[in-house]
Amino acid sequence: MMITAGCDVGSLTSKAVVMRGNRIIGTAIIRSRTHPEKTARQVMDQALKMAGVDEKDVAHSVGTGYGVEKIAFVTARHSEIACHARGARFLVPTARTVIDIGGQDCKASRLDENGGVLKFLANDKCAAGTGRFLEVMAKILNLSLDELGKLSKIARAPVTLASTCTVWAQADVIQYLNSGETVADVGAGVNNAMASRVASLANGVGVTADVCMTGGVAKNQGVVHALEKLLNERIVIPRKADPQLAGAVGAAILAREIAEGSK
Amino acid sequence: MGKYLEEVVTAHEKGKKLCMTTFCQSPAIFWAMDVVPLLMEPMTVAGSLVRKGGANEFMDYCVEAGFTETSCSSQRGALGAYLAGLAEKPDFVVIDTPGICDTNANSFSFAAAYMKLPFYQLNYPPTLKDERAEKYHRDDYRNMIAFIEDQTGNKLDTARLAEVMTEMEKQDLLICEIQDLQRLVPSPVPVIYNFFIYGLRFTMGGRKEVTDMLEAMLAEAQKKAQEGKGAIFSGPEKARALFIYIDHYAINVPLWSLLDERGVTHLGGILDRFYQADAPYAGDDGYKISTDSLDAMIDSLAEANSRLPMVKQIRGPYDAPNMWLEEGLGLAKMYKADFCVYSGTPGCRNTWGMVKLMAADMEKAGYPTLVINADAFDDRVESWEQTRHRIEEFLEVRRLV
Amino acid sequence: MNEIFIQAANRVNNPAIEEWKAQGKKVIGLVCSHVPEEVITAAGMFSYRLRGIETDSTSIGDTYFGPFICSCPKAILENAGRGRYNFLDGAIMVQACDSMRRLDECWRKAGEDYANIVPSFFHYMGVPHKVTDYAIAWFAQEIEKFALALTEHFGAPSITPDSLAAAISLHNESRRLLMDLEALRNAGDPPLSGEEAMTIILAGTAMPKSVYNPMLAETIRQLSGKSAGHAGKKRILLAGSVVDDLGMFRAIEAEGAIVVADTVCFGSRAYDGLVAEDDPSYTTLARRYLNEQFCPRMFGYYEKRLEVLKQKIETAKIDGVILQNIRFCDLHGSENGLFERDLEALGIPCIRVEREYGPLGDEGRVRMRVSAFLERLSCPPPPGTGVLKRGFSTGRPPPAAREVIRHARSIEGIQLRLEPVEPVLRSVQDGRRHTKGVRPDARTHPEFSGRHRAGHGHGRARAALPERHGQVPGGGGHGP
Repeated sequence: MMITAGCDVGSLTSKAVVMRGNRIIGTAIIRSRTHPEKTARQVMDQALKMAGVDEKDVAHSVGTGYGVEKIAFVTARHSEIACHARGARFLVPTARTVIDIGGQDCKASRLDENGGVLKFLANDKCAAGTGRFLEVMAKILNLSLDELGKLSKIARAPVTLASTCTVWAQADVIQYLNSGETVADVGAGVNNAMASRVASLANGVGVTADVCMTGGVAKNQGVVHALEKLLNERIVIPRKADPQLAGAVGAAILAREIAEGSK
Repeated sequence: MGKYLEEVVTAHEKGKKLCMTTFCQSPAIFWAMDVVPLLMEPMTVAGSLVRKGGANEFMDYCVEAGFTETSCSSQRGALGAYLAGLAEKPDFVVIDTPGICDTNANSFSFAAAYMKLPFYQLNYPPTLKDERAEKYHRDDYRNMIAFIEDQTGNKLDTARLAEVMTEMEKQDLLICEIQDLQRLVPSPVPVIYNFFIYGLRFTMGGRKEVTDMLEAMLAEAQKKAQEGKGAIFSGPEKARALFIYIDHYAINVPLWSLLDERGVTHLGGILDRFYQADAPYAGDDGYKISTDSLDAMIDSLAEANSRLPMVKQIRGPYDAPNMWLEEGLGLAKMYKADFCVYSGTPGCRNTWGMVKLMAADMEKAGYPTLVINADAFDDRVESWEQTRHRIEEFLEVRRLV
Repeated sequence: MNEIFIQAANRVNNPAIEEWKAQGKKVIGLVCSHVPEEVITAAGMFSYRLRGIETDSTSIGDTYFGPFICSCPKAILENAGRGRYNFLDGAIMVQACDSMRRLDECWRKAGEDYANIVPSFFHYMGVPHKVTDYAIAWFAQEIEKFALALTEHFGAPSITPDSLAAAISLHNESRRLLMDLEALRNAGDPPLSGEEAMTIILAGTAMPKSVYNPMLAETIRQLSGKSAGHAGKKRILLAGSVVDDLGMFRAIEAEGAIVVADTVCFGSRAYDGLVAEDDPSYTTLARRYLNEQFCPRMFGYYEKRLEVLKQKIETAKIDGVILQNIRFCDLHGSENGLFERDLEALGIPCIRVEREYGPLGDEGRVRMRVSAFLERLSCPPPPGTGVLKRGFSTGRPPPAAREVIRHARSIEGIQLRLEPVEPVLRSVQDGRRHTKGVRPDARTHPEFSGRHRAGHGHGRARAALPERHGQVPGGGGHGP
């Protein structure tokens, strides 16, 4: 069975996936370093180690992400949009809308029946609506991201937060805490503000069921539930693999398709 | 407001046409031609004031429909509902903001193209009072009337128009009197009256209901003037604020409550100054309503329209004659303002293009000026709590109250 | 590629300008394609389009302009503030769009803080937003006012019908040549890339036409019949906000596509449509400069612009359209949304890209999007799936809307007659079809109550009324 690999170099984290045929046999997620080629090398080695294969066994590999030009060892390069769409389809075969929220950006894509990307929108300029937003707020609330995610469930009256600008939202959070609002209500407000920014982006591409969420923020229950309410759609979180790996998974699958000549 | 909304919702039932238009367009001509004017911005404000979450979902829907997110939220709030087909579909669009405000004009031309509606624009040159400009105002206004006649199949009824304009004249006088009283220190005009004045004028100007309300308001202001105690309910007047642009419309009108609470008189702003010849601040620039002939009526309407908020003073360079700086300084002086406030929206390309210059000039003239970075119609940009905090901080730091 | 073209395209100043000034002649800067350049030429001067290229920050621009403003005028002010425009003898500020027209005040104010940056001739010109007979008359007077102010200020000889005729002829020659260049680009095997074409076009805005035209003619001659290996690439049309730098073209073409057509301000908008040569007058200029502008500042002419766009797409055999706008450009940003909707409905792939202006833009972001778009062009989806269903694509209105409908129904006496603007509800589409055409009959749908008023003008596509209400009959031609 053909072995392929995918490498997704992001500004915050980099991911690698090794597949044998249709099975994921090795994965890795590491924090990105200044030099994308070093990071790519490192994360790929980790994934290969986990898979128990040598690099020379890899028939083809595809790279994606912002640092992708610097990666020497890949056979081909594809856009993050295409890789995420592929990966999401593999992890959730009925996916027609993919929402990917990473550490520093947020993307929404709508797919056709075959998984081809029809339309996409990305916010990679502004922290609002990205993982960064949650990080900043969690810090002020003195919580881990995990804990922040769980707050929506226990909140009684979530506060309304400025959601357009992270800096101004920060000021809001501090204000609320000072006025005696509970951490749960403020935390839930943060998750809601996040969801509302993402919903705007998603609605821009036209939400069609099934909706799949990838990227690290998919692990935040509060945001996911708030987003479901706003979009009026159930959101499917990949179970076959960590949602953060979707890009790298997609890259590995594209690598196989190229090798088989179907792409 | 209730009566106005009823008119809007029942227009088609009653066989009238519904015209999508903007707040700074005089509605008198529409009422006179039996057309119901559907004003986007007041509808957005209505949504902001009474719904939890305001009109935000509809603003977002505009983006979904292809509109830009950065466009002025004052139109987007109501526009979203119309683009989505959730409300009575307008029959045509008439606006007067080309030459004044791109983002406003663009919202309506987008709506017209999106919903495939007939569209007419009154277009303004960058000067107010020279002969070419005045001729342009008159030609353009007549062309608009021809358009409306074409759309409705009704000819402009001279008697009906005279009726509406006579009513408008009465209302103008009442407004001028109230605004004259406002010059007194302490001001006998309650903080919320400015909002009422422009709310009424924009939606139902020329109709009897407005005259009745204005009469009641004037009576109240006169009473307070005689008592000499000012119109702040919480206590004595401590400071006088000129809002050089618009107000802030978060839920439950908190801006006005805050002002009253802190003893700050609201001297009005750009939205409630209509430049009638009888207005204390108008000098030689005001318009006079004439009902002598059809031509005279149309001419005076054209003049009145060209002096509406924004239409008058942000059409040209801010420091040119009759424009924003001259007006701001004139009003601040006449009404004895202690400070000025700029409140607007991030969508206001026009004023954000030079508000720093304006604020610097007002400060130089001795008026502390607060520039608020919030969005008057969308509290997701900056929450009311934050905005409130900034206002209070400013009052404290500049030692105004 | 002519070296002087490269310099003129990439730098604020260039040898052609220096040579012109060395002869004692004047350079007048302008910010908008609505300014009739013929007037400046007839006065013996040359018209130079102001740009914000070569800036790496907007610290000066930001001092005067507020936030939430298009970065283009800010970048122009940046250049002015740094003295890069001190070679100008005059500048014309225009009531173009709101962001650009405030350049007038901001530049003058900056002039109080930075010495000598405001040219001695600094004029403000109004431009109507529509075409009617009185608008053209007004604009003609505005042009005359400008012409008089210009010649008086510099003590130049007055403009006569003869000098105007000569200027019109010169500028029309440029336009014809640029149309020839466009025809070369439209060919199946274009002899030059989009970047190269834009270099040539930009150069024309930064040098006197009398110098430019012969060089352009020679360049076209050399290019005709050549091949440069561009056949087979995906052919892109670039539309939207001002693009006066090569970065955007590079970003697109680095991904393997070729830009063969455009509707942007420094591109075809400047040369589409000749000035009539039979009557050299300010009115003739007013007609051309109002009628022939593919600019959303002309409100109510969307349908006309859509037709022009469709024509260009067909002529140039376009594979995909990139609709870009500068952040805070509401005019292009929104019209791009309409174009996307209508072009996609015709099966023409589009992508919208929002960016910062020129040198301040992030090439990486643009390339990411372009690359994804090109992938889509290479693997087209099954027919019919590209069509965007605007609105409640799940088939049900979102919660907020349902609440509105429910509440409105509960108000006594209010008969709700709800008509979807577009046929968006799946169940309505699947089931009944309105007999009069495309619109579904909402009357029988369970979600709605109230009466449905059939066909009272829906689908009547009259977006503007200039023809009925006083437009100059047969005024000007309409583009290619």
